[in-house]
Amino acid sequence: MHISPLNFVHKTGKFGDYSGKNDNDLLKVSEVNKLLIFQIAKFKNSNFDISNIHVDELNLPSSLKSSSNSNTRILWLGPNNWLVFSSNLNLIEKEKKKFNELDFAITDISHSRTIIELEGNLVNEILKKGCPLDISSFKSGDCANSVYNGINITIDFISDNPKKARISGLRSFGESLYHSITDSCLEFGYKAI
Amino acid sequence: MLNIKCPYCGDRSQKEFAYGGDGTVVRPQLNQEVTDEKWDEFVYLRKSPRGKHIELWHHIAGCRQWFRVQRDTVTHEIFKTAKINEEIK
Repeated sequence: MHISPLNFVHKTGKFGDYSGKNDNDLLKVSEVNKLLIFQIAKFKNSNFDISNIHVDELNLPSSLKSSSNSNTRILWLGPNNWLVFSSNLNLIEKEKKKFNELDFAITDISHSRTIIELEGNLVNEILKKGCPLDISSFKSGDCANSVYNGINITIDFISDNPKKARISGLRSFGESLYHSITDSCLEFGYKAI
Repeated sequence: MLNIKCPYCGDRSQKEFAYGGDGTVVRPQLNQEVTDEKWDEFVYLRKSPRGKHIELWHHIAGCRQWFRVQRDTVTHEIFKTAKINEEIK
């Protein structure tokens, strides 16, 4: 059974300085859950050519990039290391035959991450408040690991118009991360959905 | 704010990194006799120069890779960074 990491924290409604603002202009904050999340790590001594491997028909992306389709997103985490998010909950079973145990380690970490999605024109401003990255230089299809007010996070830049980004962190930091992000949103007003 | 150029991710804030100590230490060869002095030197003795120094850093909140950094310990200027299997000359 999947229990949301933000089960007791994420409340829907409008918060902060939202009065007098058009609903469509408000920042939207939501939790993304019930996804299959797994890590693909290629061993250091492996010579396996990853260009021959596809997961849910997606390539394993190169540095600081992501690849995606409507069900699955694959993020580059580091050299020979990728993180897969998928709404197809049987994806590991379907794909694991492609990954030889001598070359790869596949680890299901579905229960260990919390994911917060931000949408709206002010997404970059929210990210800049807690994250030292040059946020404006990242576009749709990019991803990066960094920190948000001291919490380790992975940012997946999903789309530029509308501006949308997913921030994932360790489940145990979920509550702190959520409060940190929503505190940053209060100044502009936000809608939790 | 100090920026460090990770060989894998590019320029990033120091906040994402952890310092890993002297990058010039070489472990004694495996399966060979090691004197107590050599072992003591490897385990405990570290250089702490004033000026250019080669250090290990870990991109702990990024790609999680260890790499070498040539840094001036007085001015904090960073001259070069290199992957862990590359030498800085």
